[in-house]
Amino acid sequence: MSAWAGNPWAGFLLRRLGRLAVSLAVLVTLAFGMIHLIPGDPVRAALGVTAPPDLVDARREALGLNDPIGVQYVDYVRSLFSGDLGISMTSGVPVSETIGQRLPATASLAVAAFVVVMLAAIPLGLAMAVLTRGGRRRGAELGFTSTSAVVAAIPEFLLAVGLVFVFGVTLGWFPVAGRSHAASYVLPVVALALGPALLMARIVRVEALAVMDEDFVRTARAKRLPPLRVYLRHVFPNALTSTLTIGGLLLSGMIVGTVLVENVFAWPGMGMTIVSSILAKDYPVVQGIVLVYGAAVLLVNLVVDVLLAVADPRSTIREG
Amino acid sequence: MRELSFEGTTVRFGTGRSALTAVDGVDLTVPAGSVVGLVGESGSGKSTLAKAAVGLVPTTGGEIRLDGAPLRTSRDRRKLQLVFQDPHASLDPRMTIGESIAEALPGRRRRAARTAEVARLLELVGLDPARARSLPSGLSGGQRQRVALARALAAEPEVVLADEITSALDVSVQGSVLNLVRDLQRQLGLTMLFISHNLSVVRYVSDVIAVMYLGRIVEAGPADAVLSAPRHPYTRTLLDAAPAFGVALDDPVPADDPRLDAEAPSPHDPPPGCRFHRRCPIGPLTRPERTICAETDPQPGAADRPHRAACHFATDLMEVPAP
Amino acid sequence: MGRDQWRAALRNPVGAVAAGLLVVLAILAVVAPILWGDAAEETDPAALSQGSTSEHPLGTDALGRDIMLRVLVATRYSLGLALLATAICVVAGVLLGVLPAVLGRRAGRLVTAAVNLAVAFPGLLLALFFAVIFGVGARGAVLAIGLAGAPSFARLVQTNVAAVAGRDYVAAARVAGVGRFRLVARHLLPNIGEPLVVNATVMAGTALLAFAGLSFLGLGVQPPAYDWGRLLGEGLDRIYINPAAALAPGVAVVVAGLAFTLLGESIAQVVGVRAVRRRRPPAADEPAAALARAAAEPDAVLVADDLRVGFPAPGGGWTHPVDGVGLTVRRGETVGIVGESGSGKSLTALAVAQLAPDSAHVTAQRLEVAGVAPLGRADAEVRELLGTKVAMVFQDPMTSFNPSMRVGRQLAEVTRVHERQGRRAALARAVDRLRTVRVPAPERRAHQYPHEFSGGMRQRAMIAMGLMSTPELIIADEPTTALDVTVQRQVLRLLEDVQAETGAAVVLISHDIAVVGQLCERVVVMYAGRVVEELPVGRLGAAAHPYTRALLASVPDLATDRDRPLATIPGRPPDPADRPEGCAFAPRCEFADDACRVRPGLAAVAPDQRAACWHPRTQPLDLALDAVPGGSCDTDRRWGAEGPPEPSVQGVGRLERVRDPLHDPTSDRGAGGQA
Repeated sequence: MSAWAGNPWAGFLLRRLGRLAVSLAVLVTLAFGMIHLIPGDPVRAALGVTAPPDLVDARREALGLNDPIGVQYVDYVRSLFSGDLGISMTSGVPVSETIGQRLPATASLAVAAFVVVMLAAIPLGLAMAVLTRGGRRRGAELGFTSTSAVVAAIPEFLLAVGLVFVFGVTLGWFPVAGRSHAASYVLPVVALALGPALLMARIVRVEALAVMDEDFVRTARAKRLPPLRVYLRHVFPNALTSTLTIGGLLLSGMIVGTVLVENVFAWPGMGMTIVSSILAKDYPVVQGIVLVYGAAVLLVNLVVDVLLAVADPRSTIREG
Repeated sequence: MRELSFEGTTVRFGTGRSALTAVDGVDLTVPAGSVVGLVGESGSGKSTLAKAAVGLVPTTGGEIRLDGAPLRTSRDRRKLQLVFQDPHASLDPRMTIGESIAEALPGRRRRAARTAEVARLLELVGLDPARARSLPSGLSGGQRQRVALARALAAEPEVVLADEITSALDVSVQGSVLNLVRDLQRQLGLTMLFISHNLSVVRYVSDVIAVMYLGRIVEAGPADAVLSAPRHPYTRTLLDAAPAFGVALDDPVPADDPRLDAEAPSPHDPPPGCRFHRRCPIGPLTRPERTICAETDPQPGAADRPHRAACHFATDLMEVPAP
Repeated sequence: MGRDQWRAALRNPVGAVAAGLLVVLAILAVVAPILWGDAAEETDPAALSQGSTSEHPLGTDALGRDIMLRVLVATRYSLGLALLATAICVVAGVLLGVLPAVLGRRAGRLVTAAVNLAVAFPGLLLALFFAVIFGVGARGAVLAIGLAGAPSFARLVQTNVAAVAGRDYVAAARVAGVGRFRLVARHLLPNIGEPLVVNATVMAGTALLAFAGLSFLGLGVQPPAYDWGRLLGEGLDRIYINPAAALAPGVAVVVAGLAFTLLGESIAQVVGVRAVRRRRPPAADEPAAALARAAAEPDAVLVADDLRVGFPAPGGGWTHPVDGVGLTVRRGETVGIVGESGSGKSLTALAVAQLAPDSAHVTAQRLEVAGVAPLGRADAEVRELLGTKVAMVFQDPMTSFNPSMRVGRQLAEVTRVHERQGRRAALARAVDRLRTVRVPAPERRAHQYPHEFSGGMRQRAMIAMGLMSTPELIIADEPTTALDVTVQRQVLRLLEDVQAETGAAVVLISHDIAVVGQLCERVVVMYAGRVVEELPVGRLGAAAHPYTRALLASVPDLATDRDRPLATIPGRPPDPADRPEGCAFAPRCEFADDACRVRPGLAAVAPDQRAACWHPRTQPLDLALDAVPGGSCDTDRRWGAEGPPEPSVQGVGRLERVRDPLHDPTSDRGAGGQA
């Protein structure tokens, strides 16, 4: 026990996991509260005005909506712990089953896009930083910053539509809908990754340029080290912190960005499901998917914080 | 002008592992109409003490009194005014210097009365009253520091606290600000707590000198006496370290003994007993028989020793001829 | 943000285009529904789902309505809804962001924590969440997008407010008794206005895109109303039949979104510091007269003659912070360079060491460093030639070490690169060098990161880095300025010891003439980019240049007469871009006359003493330079009857670490095991 208390890592992990628990609790409460914040009767809304009153009442009873709110909350949390996310109001299929079917498609899309972003953005950003340091190559700098600003500002679903038009409709190179073999991944992944990759490259460049102005890089130059060593040993590791932070934010964004991309490419993931469920007012499904997205985002944040603590020896996260 | 006194003032930051007692039971009196100079290195808690007095940081213990009456409300605290170190940061870049000064004037006044008062204050600190409408960006560091002084005086304070007000200034400007401080003090009979890491600067303006180390006052007394006959070895070390002409670096100053090269102790984890004992040239490092220094805190008996020195061997230090 | 800055933002080509686009969009938003509102609703049963025809350039939708007109008319609705959502977002964000500053500590922390939690979730997820609550439709979508953007806007406001609230002027206002609300209104909000305007503009673009996204998903605007997103969603279904039906609203969304985003970015660029453009240096303007070259000194490690460092000035032309410096340092000599900030002393050192910033242009009549003439050579060649001959010690030991690399490795790197030694041998040498500079427990210390070192220890490690091989010249740029006085003295003494041991020449740069006087044999005084006086330390009392004399007299020391006002120098040092003709000190000098309009050169005023002044002073300075306590005191009296403690080990070379029980290697290992 004393060894635990003395270890800064244990303290950090304990605190960080505590924060995760609080965040998850808030998330669960919000997901639960969502159905109660909807003005009017959600069941009536879902079944339509023409539904007979006894059907509505039966459905309310089945969903437990007639119980006191405290009891409902406790029931909700208890069933969450047993893996029960409720039953779809329209199809009658358990929500957990639907999510189980749809999650792999969404996850594979998000992960593939994230890998593409990292592989493309970090080398590009570093190379641009080295090439444009100290105001060199103004043309290249202007070209890079303006192109990346413009492309990064185009939202993924519009990019997706453009890609569908060019590579699907006009050129016919890639399939434009559905998830089958590897080729079907190309357009959705590009649509999802292009903007974040350019954004990331911009940030890597700016961070690397900022590090190049630091005193310790001057120290490295005073040691007359070869430039490559200066960049790889002294500049890049110190630009890593913010790269990681931004990378985490981008991944969270991409997880949710799949909603739009999936709807363009008719990708059979959670994004398609949540939109159709919102339109059909199938609230248990919406609740379940919001929980999954939210939990995924919180997990990404946790991983980023742990990585930051590992990467940065001064890490304030670890100490305070 | 009234007397400012700290009684057992304590300021603690944070909790648990990262807790830090920046100011630890400080007793210090600034008599009415006099200047007390507070010297210490970075991390000694001298700035925190000033911030605590004006209410910028909360105290965790003790009392701060003005003529014996404890300061409780922010209205009480307005009678203390603080002048900050960096004049480039202490003036709102978007307000004219006239507005900055007028903002500190107590009570409601008519516009004409305010303008007149601002002009009087600018003149008092040696600036052209026509400058009232210029923005801080148009002023030099020395001029800004004069504005900061004028703003402090505008609040009609009982006590002025000056926190390192010359250390951000160029060497050639520093002198004129020091002259101004001295003139204002004599002209208005100001009560002042003058804080600096620079012993020579403190010496120039102060009547009383207090020395702070790791959150505590280790010595306090009349300026001449403290400088010529320091009773605490830390004061002695500071005096020796002050760069001065004609003092070679290789003279046999014990404060430079390689055994004393150990790291300055962290305020997060102050040493037991005397906080200075691990760096002390007359402590257990050089005289192993002086175990008391590592075991017993010298603070409690300080009031009975000369200069209230927090040193078990305060009477050891012999007098040195006054400069 | 001043009017000039707005103008500058619009003068920037990107900003001008973006602003132009926004004006066109605004006109369209007003005019289009009036002109074509009815026509866009007209169904044409004869032309259902057509492609491009002469009558319908972009084709028709499923009910035969003209797509082009519908896209144009939708401008008003799309922009209006986006701006409404932006307004909600900005208002909610500013309120949430300012709240912590107005509320007390505890309540404020709660608000901050809530905002932080909300920010972790991407905006789209929040928007979906709110869309469920507020219901599908335009009203629900406006609320959803506005509220979904609020947390990140609030975070931005909080960050900016926190940065400003930490500034001294806010503390000063609080001390002066300014109330919370006035504090927010007068000091906090005005000073964060610029980033807020920029981000609100960018936010408008984001809201527009987000709205299009929601409408595209069918969660936003509901038929019969339509906006660009709705049109896009309808068009996508028929992209094989009529691509224009999907592309036209898509282009409209992108153009409008970009217009907002790019305008925001170009404002941000103007507000932020703009990088100085690198420019070709002017054609080498040869100094008018070839100055009398310093007699070739065979034992000089540094010869600089008419050294100039120029930077491109913002308004065109060049400024020269270093403007014709001549400097000679002989082998084994210690020379101090003294000057105020802006005198060019640090830049001189960097230029000599070939470390001047990228945008600087360095020229000299002659520059030789450790027998190498570096000017005009390629970087790689300079690296090869200079190698480890010049060691640098920088001002701020906190920032001069790579924070993510262990100290030992940073030292070892020098030997590994330049002497191609193995990792182990290089590290052993690093430990040895750390021991030389009296870093306690060097084996353990070498494995620590810089942040685990105190300032004084880091400065020692920096000196040790210079000693990894045998430097001929050590340049120390304000090495003690960031340190406490007691530590300062230890570092100075270490420099002195290193100099004695290695025989390297030392150049010590400082603003403190007393520090220089303690360590150096010769003092070089710089003012406004030039050397104004050069003299042996022993002759400081007979300084000839009025600036040197004023500098000496204006700094109080422990012997200053407390009853006399300090000497002062009126005015302030000139800006490098705006230096007076002739003697740069003349406007502040009490002896200046017409002669001073011509720039004086360095001329001998005494043996070994040269001053650049038309009116050199000859009387000795009235300063008690020697009457300082401690100078002649004997230690017995200072340290009490028992006298100073004798060092436990006598006769050990000063650079050898004195063994003592405190730093016993075994105890080090013990401590290392715990850490």
